[in-house]
Amino acid sequence: MGDEVKLAFDLLAFISVMVLIVLGLGIIASMMGIFNFAHGEFVLLGAYTVYLFQDSGLSAWAGILAAPVVLAVVGLVLERLVIRRFYAAPIVAMLGTYAIGLMIRETVRALLGGQYKSINEPLSGAFVVFGLNFSVWRTVIVLTTILVIAGTWFFLSRTSVGLQVRGALENPNLARACGISTSKLYAATFAFGAALAGLAGALIVPLYQLSADIGTRFLVQAFLSVMLGGVGTFEGPVLGAAAVGGMAAGLPWIVIPVLADPLVFVIALAFVKFRPQGFITQGRL
Amino acid sequence: MLSEAGSEMTVASPSEKRRGVAGRGRSFRRVLPYIEAGALVVALVLPFVLGDRTDLVTLATNVLILSMLAISFDLCWGLAGIMSFGQALFFGVAGYAIALVGRDLDFSDAWATLPLAMLVGLLLSGLFAAFLLLGRKTPSIIFVAFGTLTGSYAAERLVSGWQYVGAGNGLSSVKLLKLGAYEFVEGDTFYFLALGLLLLVYLAARYFKQSQLGLVLAGMRQNEERLAFLGYRVQLFKAVLFSFAGLVAGLGGALYSYHQGFIGPGNMGPGLSTTAVIYCLLGGSGTLIGPIFGTATVEVLSYALSDIDAIRHIWPVVLGLVLLLVVMFQPRGIVGLFVSDRERIGSYGRRRSSG
Repeated sequence: MGDEVKLAFDLLAFISVMVLIVLGLGIIASMMGIFNFAHGEFVLLGAYTVYLFQDSGLSAWAGILAAPVVLAVVGLVLERLVIRRFYAAPIVAMLGTYAIGLMIRETVRALLGGQYKSINEPLSGAFVVFGLNFSVWRTVIVLTTILVIAGTWFFLSRTSVGLQVRGALENPNLARACGISTSKLYAATFAFGAALAGLAGALIVPLYQLSADIGTRFLVQAFLSVMLGGVGTFEGPVLGAAAVGGMAAGLPWIVIPVLADPLVFVIALAFVKFRPQGFITQGRL
Repeated sequence: MLSEAGSEMTVASPSEKRRGVAGRGRSFRRVLPYIEAGALVVALVLPFVLGDRTDLVTLATNVLILSMLAISFDLCWGLAGIMSFGQALFFGVAGYAIALVGRDLDFSDAWATLPLAMLVGLLLSGLFAAFLLLGRKTPSIIFVAFGTLTGSYAAERLVSGWQYVGAGNGLSSVKLLKLGAYEFVEGDTFYFLALGLLLLVYLAARYFKQSQLGLVLAGMRQNEERLAFLGYRVQLFKAVLFSFAGLVAGLGGALYSYHQGFIGPGNMGPGLSTTAVIYCLLGGSGTLIGPIFGTATVEVLSYALSDIDAIRHIWPVVLGLVLLLVVMFQPRGIVGLFVSDRERIGSYGRRRSSG
């Protein structure tokens, strides 16, 4: 019994990490129809912000709070300068964002000197329920993920800005005709997606050591999650991330670990192949 | 939103379109054949000019071999409009295949191993094409891009954890390529072997591009749906091109493995795959000669600058910046500076009356 609960908790924690990473990616893909290859590097920048704060003797909490803000600014600047040119051409967007990601990743690699840095968990240790140990920090991640999902959902479905976002997603031309500035909305969406990536990076960096490749290890899984869940919905990417994260964390218990990763990819791709629209049909954000 | 993505690589602004049209009319001069001939002459005399600098001959051979990878990507993207982020997969797997044949069977005769590498590339890419491209539903271009990326990434991970093929260390001291009793070592002969094979690959690709098949492909890049309505099985054409590109990449991978004496997981991963993208886009996609220029530019620069410590560390950043600038401001690449759009897209052979 104890082992199953532990396993379920670990699965939940990993799924939360995936959902945090995928949410920003999914929102950008749904709104603008582009897949942001630099998303993994936004996660990296979030993690790096926490490292900088810790390195200069400040509280890690300040770093975790600062990361989304820093990334929102970075996202906004990039959107205004570069990304907005790519909205009409998803393939060019892929190449352009890949180039941006490459530049960020290699710059951070040079700054870190190719080393691994470990970040301490701001809340370390474990708490005991029914004689089972649960890591405090993983619990924080799970709770934050739930809060972020609930907050994003509330924002999209219950506020007037959220209504504009849904309108622009449904029919950009009509939204513009109604006086909604889709250009501003796109910039804000991109900044928001980047901020989510920054938050994800800040939260997960204590679990994984900080290295330049921290973002790329999740990127392929994140893309598959978005495709699996379906572009153009809010629930889709979340469900997709849950499915991919669950498989990625659960399969190593069933097959040998080396085969687990490729197997997740094959299952996800095969599903998308036969159901290209994903779990949820388009246009219900 | 995604399904209507056009597959033509450039989003030409009106002014750019006009510049392309300017080449039309009587004054139209073909530039590409001269560029091609010039490149061939340079390639032929290069070893004699370099003489004793064996390191530079090795670099030049490397450029020729990587050019095959670049051409392989150009066949996918420049001709068929398939964005493949996994071209290195076929390159690397074929390289591993011949390295294993050399290690376990103690066999490396060129007449058998090079065709074997091509076969491996062809079959693997054919498999990918069948899964990603063919089927009842037309796949979105994004799906194909991610499919190839995922394949390349998964293969790299798989090989890094597989002891039989050397895991993370890869396979080193690959058996030398033989022809009869002659062994190809680094140097002039290997250079000319690579050049000869590259020339064959180039001519085959050029034939593809300028045949009626090339005309269909040009139409597909312009408007895939219309071609489908005209009765062309668009996805089948793409699959054929993709498989042929895999064959080319496989040949390149085998030569790379023999030339370096080493093949590792990194040679099949997304890293090399995207480097191939940079080669091709920098040089000018769809021109076939462009990717060769792109490869030469990137590799020679990175070799020349690798001695300077400060630049070596930021070299990948520079590559990223180059890719970003090319994508944003010069989607036609280096060759696009000299060659008009009309010529870049090409002219096509006559239709045979017998058909």
